[in-house]
Amino acid sequence: MDLFGVFDISSAGMSVEQSRLATAASNLANARTTKTADGTLYQPLSVVVRSSNVPTGTYADVEATMRAGTLPRPYVSSITEVPTAPRLVYDPGHPDADAKGFVSMPGVDTLSTMMDLISVSRGYEANLRAFDITRHLIQKTIDMGRNR
Amino acid sequence: MSDSILTIDLLTRALDVSALRQAVYSANIANAAVPGYQRLEVNFDQQMESFAAAFDSSSNADPTHVSMNAPSVVPTGTAVKLDEEVAAMARNALQYQTLVGAYERMSSLTRLAIHEGRE
Repeated sequence: MDLFGVFDISSAGMSVEQSRLATAASNLANARTTKTADGTLYQPLSVVVRSSNVPTGTYADVEATMRAGTLPRPYVSSITEVPTAPRLVYDPGHPDADAKGFVSMPGVDTLSTMMDLISVSRGYEANLRAFDITRHLIQKTIDMGRNR
Repeated sequence: MSDSILTIDLLTRALDVSALRQAVYSANIANAAVPGYQRLEVNFDQQMESFAAAFDSSSNADPTHVSMNAPSVVPTGTAVKLDEEVAAMARNALQYQTLVGAYERMSSLTRLAIHEGRE
């Protein structure tokens, strides 16, 4: 069993959490962006996370895959725009206001984005802890028999 | 002497399984954000049962001739709970350190024998 390969798994996990963090931050930061560079309303972004080598098939197949030492690792498959109904705010003086004086604001759900941030934080922490323990175990192995 | 070699061999295998557990728990934590991911588990109970049977004094099996298969990694069909994975990982890390300690003691015994009891 190669413990060094475990670093890659934890790194993949941390990198996925970072993408989720960046996306949540972008959604929060753009919560009042009425026009993006192409002139359209900002749409909330969502990270699509997939896992490589997800074991499928019969029990024997799954076991064979797992024995090959290929543990699944996550990756960001895409970051997609989620078409969301805009939030209408009455602001007649705003340059982007419609005929009735309503401005379309991005439909960013601030509350659920904040919840996502908590989940990201916990996920990142757990990955970091896994990384740290792996490092510690490798160090213990290297130090084996050094006390003589 | 064959006993000490057997012990070293056992410790090596146990360390190997413990390292695999660390890898599997890390993978579970890393994939926690993936929708539909099922947590994985190291299945080593069957192997341990056959081993325990060989060490049973009532059986005639020779512990030095027990064949051990590689442990298998199987999905449990449940979602990942981060706190449980971290706790399991901490426990496994302690087990790994205990095994490393046992390994060191075994090798210091061997060293003692090589030096004919002189430190």
